[in-house]
Amino acid sequence: MTNEKKGRDSERPLPELKKERDSFIHSFFTKGAQFTQELVNENTRLRHRLGELEQESAKLRAQVASDDAIRELLKTIDGLEREKGNLLSRFQQAEAASSRWVDQYTEVEGELANFANLYVASHQLHASLSFRTTVRQIKELLEQLVGSRSFAVYLATGDGKTLVPIVCEGLGKPRRIPVNPSDGAIGESFATGMSRVESGDLSRGSVEHPLAIVPMVHENKVFGVFAVYATLEQKPRFMPVDFELFKLLGAHAAGALICACLFANAGHKIPSFDPFFDPET
Amino acid sequence: MMRQLLVFALARVKNLRVTEADDGVDGLRKLASARFDIIITDINMPIMDGLKLVKRVRSDPTHSATPIVIITTEGSQEDRQRALQLGANAYITKPIQAPQVIAKVKELLKIE
Repeated sequence: MTNEKKGRDSERPLPELKKERDSFIHSFFTKGAQFTQELVNENTRLRHRLGELEQESAKLRAQVASDDAIRELLKTIDGLEREKGNLLSRFQQAEAASSRWVDQYTEVEGELANFANLYVASHQLHASLSFRTTVRQIKELLEQLVGSRSFAVYLATGDGKTLVPIVCEGLGKPRRIPVNPSDGAIGESFATGMSRVESGDLSRGSVEHPLAIVPMVHENKVFGVFAVYATLEQKPRFMPVDFELFKLLGAHAAGALICACLFANAGHKIPSFDPFFDPET
Repeated sequence: MMRQLLVFALARVKNLRVTEADDGVDGLRKLASARFDIIITDINMPIMDGLKLVKRVRSDPTHSATPIVIITTEGSQEDRQRALQLGANAYITKPIQAPQVIAKVKELLKIE
């Protein structure tokens, strides 16, 4: 059968075979060209893809580098945040210390002002040997340092049976009357040598209820009493320095008045110190 | 007494030198002989009171801009108003306290 077919093909005419051969060759080359074209296309596609991948890779590499930089930056930020926290904490500490210093400074300034008041009061009390001047100083001290609006200063008579007002401020003439040492709060203070000073609200003071009663003492003997009945409007309560001023007046006013009295009795002449000089020394 | 306290208070203000005067007339005499940064005066003074002093100081061009502080008592609100109208810059009420004086002076002289 095969040989029979071969015999038949060889029997075909030459132009037909040629045509078939040309067709085969054409088809072969066409397919080859197509295949080549496909290969070229594939190559181009792959090149393109390679380019894309390279770009992607470069991007990723850049991103990784960028991530590293970010990580570094985050680290730096963390460090800075910690530093900021430390600085804030130190700033708060410094602020607290500064605030403490300001408080202490204010306190010291206040204490200094109080000492100044006490110094001025003490200095003025003993600045003069004139009885009138000393009385005026006591009056000014109560007015200007304590802030008293109405007050009185009483001195005991020689027999100690009467307290005579030598200063009577803001009370009017009817109040300028001697006081019996056995009467009322003033008499009690004179008798006991104890002072009584209101520590709270000062708006309710009156002649019947003085805000402060302070005995004036010298060498354990009471020579008189001063009483504050009302204070200036801007003085709602006695401050610690006022208590100190009352103590100072109570302890020094009598001595200053006694000196002034002795000086007046000596004819306003300062006596010689000669009797006190010890020839042995 | 108040003068001594004022001198003490003003001594606490850095670079401030204090000149004292006995009354308004003495104050004017001292003002004529020198320039001053600030004037502090009691409203109640002998010979010439604080109000007259403020008026005289303000009428003098040399001291027309010098700050004036008056010291008053609680009952003299009218005097305070009058002093401010006449040209005083501020007032301090008695009893005077050094910190109050220092603060007022620093405020008027713009001292830190």
